Amino acid sequence: MDNIKVGDYIIVQRQNYTKLHKLRSHGTMALGSFIIEMDNVIGEKYFDTFQIKNVPNTKKNYTLEKIEDLSSISTSLNVEQSGSDNRNIEADDNNQTMSSEEINKLKDEDLSSNNILEKLISNSKTFNTKTEYSQEKYIKKKSKKYFEYIQIRKPSIRLLAQMFYRQDPAKILGIRIDYLSQILSYSNIQSEGTHIVYDSGTSGLIPAALLESIGANTCGKLIHMHPGNECQKVAFLAMEFPEEQAKRCINVNLYSVLRHYHQTETKGLKDACDRDVDKQSEENVEMKEYEELEIMETENNEQPEAKRRKLDKSNWQVDNELACKLLRDGVHSIIITAKEHPQSIVDALEPFLLPSRNLVVFSTFKEPLQELYFHLKNDLSFLAVKLTTNFMRNYQVLPDRTHPEVNMTHGGYLLTAIKVKQ
Amino acid sequence: MSFDGYKTVIKEGDSVILYLTINQYYILEAKNTAVSKKGATVQNIFQTPYGPIICGDLIGKLYGTKIQLKKGWAYVLQPTPEFWTEILPHRTQIIYSTDISMILFYLELKPTSIVVESGTGSGSLSHAIIRRIKPSGHLYTFDFHETRAEVARNEFKDHGLGEYVTVQTRDVCTNGFGKEMENKADAIFLDLPQPWLAANYTTQVFKKSGGRLCSFSPCVEQVQKMCAALSNLGYQDIQTVEILQSQFSVQKKKMSVLNLNILKTQNDGKCEKSEKEYVNFITSVLPNSLPGHTGYLTSATFPPCY
Repeated sequence: MDNIKVGDYIIVQRQNYTKLHKLRSHGTMALGSFIIEMDNVIGEKYFDTFQIKNVPNTKKNYTLEKIEDLSSISTSLNVEQSGSDNRNIEADDNNQTMSSEEINKLKDEDLSSNNILEKLISNSKTFNTKTEYSQEKYIKKKSKKYFEYIQIRKPSIRLLAQMFYRQDPAKILGIRIDYLSQILSYSNIQSEGTHIVYDSGTSGLIPAALLESIGANTCGKLIHMHPGNECQKVAFLAMEFPEEQAKRCINVNLYSVLRHYHQTETKGLKDACDRDVDKQSEENVEMKEYEELEIMETENNEQPEAKRRKLDKSNWQVDNELACKLLRDGVHSIIITAKEHPQSIVDALEPFLLPSRNLVVFSTFKEPLQELYFHLKNDLSFLAVKLTTNFMRNYQVLPDRTHPEVNMTHGGYLLTAIKVKQ
Repeated sequence: MSFDGYKTVIKEGDSVILYLTINQYYILEAKNTAVSKKGATVQNIFQTPYGPIICGDLIGKLYGTKIQLKKGWAYVLQPTPEFWTEILPHRTQIIYSTDISMILFYLELKPTSIVVESGTGSGSLSHAIIRRIKPSGHLYTFDFHETRAEVARNEFKDHGLGEYVTVQTRDVCTNGFGKEMENKADAIFLDLPQPWLAANYTTQVFKKSGGRLCSFSPCVEQVQKMCAALSNLGYQDIQTVEILQSQFSVQKKKMSVLNLNILKTQNDGKCEKSEKEYVNFITSVLPNSLPGHTGYLTSATFPPCY
C-alpha cells in the first residue's frame, strides 16, 4: 500500500469526525480548537494512528506522533463506585468543581484524554452516584471532546459522501448515501458505454462516484455537464483517479455543449423556420448563461469569462467536440442531480438516451419530480416511471443496549424511468 | 446471454424482459424451441394476458422497441439486475434492490474488485455485484446447498456472466473459505443465519491492503453478536443501518370547492348548487401497507496489515 506523500488528499478521522485535507509540506490543519502541524504523517502509511501532542511553549499549536502500539490507546478508566439509578442526582452547574479555565489549562499543558478525564471525574460530585451506564456515557462524551488520537485514511467515495453529508448536506445537494447508492444502481452504470451526468453542485461527489463505477482501464465514458464556468471538483480531485481514468470524464458547460451540438454540428441542415426558433432559444440561453457566469464569477472571484476563454480556448472547444461526438452515438444512462427544475434539463438531454436505458433524477423536493413524472409518461417515451423516497436510520449496537440512534435525517426523492422507442 | 454490458439487438438465446405494465413484466428467452414438460422439443411460445408471443420472433428486434400482441402491445427491454431481482425464481429469501444498492456502496465495489459472497441463495445480489465489478473483477460465491449452487452456476452461464463468477458448494461457517481464498478479497458479504461463525475466517481472506465487510441480518440479536465478533477480530468503522424504500403513487386529483361566500349576501336563493368549482392538483400517496422491515446492514473496515 502507498505511503502518505505531499500533495495527497487525506481524510483525517478523529473518532467519528472526519475531515478532508490536502497535504502540503510544512502545512497545518485546524481540527476543532487544535492547529496541528501535519508534517509527521508524511511517509507514513494510511490507517496509521497518531497522537496529537502539544508543541512545548505554545498555546494552540500541536504536532502529531505516530502510535506504534495501538493497545496503549484505551479510554477505559477504572471506576470504583456506581449508583443503581438516578434518584440522588440533581441538575446543578456546580457538579463539576473544576472551572473551564482550569480544564483548558490542563488541555494546553498535556493533552491526554485519559488524564483530563481522570481529573474531571475526580472533581465531579455526582459521578460516583451515576449508574454504570451513565458513567460510561459520561466518559464517552468527555473522551470525545478531549480525544487526542487521529487516524489517516485514504479518501473513498463512501468516506467522502458521509463526511460531506455530516458537515453540511447542502454541500452535496442533500444526497444521502442511500440515495447515492441507488443512483449508482438504478442508472445501470457499468464499465462500458457513455453516461451523462448533469450536476449543479455536489462538490464533485456525483461525477466522482460515477467515474469510480466506470472504473480504471475500461472503455466507459462520462460526460459531466455543469451550469457554471468551472465545475466543482473537490471530491473528484480527492479520489486521485489515474490520468487515464480521469480523462474519460469530460467536463462541459451545459449551455455551451448543447449550443455546440445544435448549431455547429447540424449547420445548414435546417430550414429557415427552424433557424428562427433556434435563434430565439439561443438568445435566451445566452442570456441565462451570462447570468449564471456572473453569479459564478462573483462567487469564485475568477477571471472574466472572455479572458479565460481566450487563454484555453482550445481546451473547452476540444471537450465540447469530444462530448458532441459521443452524444451523436447516444448514451447509456442519464443522471440528473440538479438545483434547477429537472424538466427542461430532461427535455434537452433525453433525446440522447438510447432505448432500454435508464434515467435517474434526484431532488430534495417532491413537486418537481411529480411534474416530471407526468411529463415522462404523457409527453415522452418512458416507461417504468417510479417516484420513491427512503427511510434510513443508524443503530447504536451494544450488548443489551441496542436501539436506533436518537437523531435521524430526512433524505429526498428519486425518480427513475426507462426510455423506449415509439 | 444478455446481462453483460449494453446490447442493441436481441440475439438468439438472450434473456429478454417483456414489459406490459408497471406490474406486469416477464422474462423470456429469445429461442425458437423449448423443451416441454414431457421432454419433447416444442415451439417456444410465451403466454401473456395480451395474447401469446412466439419467442423466436424476437430475435433481431431492437431492445427498447414495441412488440404487437394479439390484444395489445408490449415492450422488449434488456434485463438489468434490478429487473432480475423482481422476477427471478425464488429458491430462498432474497435481498431486494434497496438493500443491494447499499451493500454495493458499503463494500466500495468498482471494476477490479475481488468479492466473496456467502450464501449465494437465489443470486439476486450476485447479479448486481457482477455488474459493478466486471470486466476485471471477480465474484467468489459460496453456498452450502449443492443443488442451489449448481442452479446458480448455470444461471450465470446462461446470462453470459460465467467468466466473472466462481460458484462453490461450501459451508463457510464450519470450514471457512478455503486455502485458495487467502489474501485475495477486497470485499466480503455475508448473508448467513450465524454470520459471526463465518466472520472468524474472514480476516485471512482479505488482501494485505485490507478491505470492507458487510453483513445482512433480519434480527437484532444477530446484529449484536456480529458486531461484538467484528470488534474482537479487529474490524473498524463498525456501523449498523436499516433502510427502507417506499414508492409513491403519483396522482392527479380534483377536489370540489364549496362556494360559501355567496351566503353572505342576499340573493334569490336560486342556483346555489349549480356553480360547482374545482381545484386540480398533483399529489403523491404512499400505499396503505408498506414493507416495515427487511434486515439490518452491518458494515465494517478490515484495516491493512503490514
